[in-house]
Amino acid sequence: MIKATRKWILLKLSSLLMVPFMIWFLIKFVSVYDKDYQSVIEFFSNQSSAIIFSIFIIITFFHSALSISEIFEDYIDNEKTRKFANMMVYLSSLIIPAITIITLVKL
Amino acid sequence: MNNNPLSPHIQIYNWHISSLVSISHRITGVINILTLTLICFWIWALLFGNEGYDLIFKFFNSFLGKFFAIGFIWSYSFQILSEVRHWFWDLGYGFELNTTKITGALVIVGSVLITIFLYSIRGILI
Repeated sequence: MIKATRKWILLKLSSLLMVPFMIWFLIKFVSVYDKDYQSVIEFFSNQSSAIIFSIFIIITFFHSALSISEIFEDYIDNEKTRKFANMMVYLSSLIIPAITIITLVKL
Repeated sequence: MNNNPLSPHIQIYNWHISSLVSISHRITGVINILTLTLICFWIWALLFGNEGYDLIFKFFNSFLGKFFAIGFIWSYSFQILSEVRHWFWDLGYGFELNTTKITGALVIVGSVLITIFLYSIRGILI
């Protein structure tokens, strides 16, 4: 299988997985974002919320990294710049969810 | 130096619903991941305790905070509906000109309606 086909399949699979989690998070976010510290802590330290949120950010950052690399393909002409930009996006899509999941475990 | 033009030339085309939804899909996708990054920072900030959280609490309850929340709901709703539209395309449905116009309009109107609905019932959720 060629690289572009594999990337397209991964984009579509991650999109299918991501949308139900997006709906879940949207509903939870609107009901908790403006509450006090204790309510926000209660939500994120709840085991099921923490697990669902962790899966949500892993899938979403993965999907976004692939999508953003597609945008770079279209708009960044210089190959070196494009590779560097892609590397930064892939790195941050690993580091940000990792730190967030560790934070959720510690809450 | 490669002088080939980069795609797409969004600035030279006339605007249609399809092109508007297409570029908005990309823009909201980028906004959504940036917003989710901010939400991750919000979670990291929880580690600093109740006193440090006061600033975030004030922000979310300010006009700017409400604007952020409503913008986030709209951007997410738009992305969800637009993703579903793409799934149908991937299955081979909805390519007729009129259908693309109708589904494009549904994405725009639907995202606004979902935003109004979710924001107005947020008190009774959870």
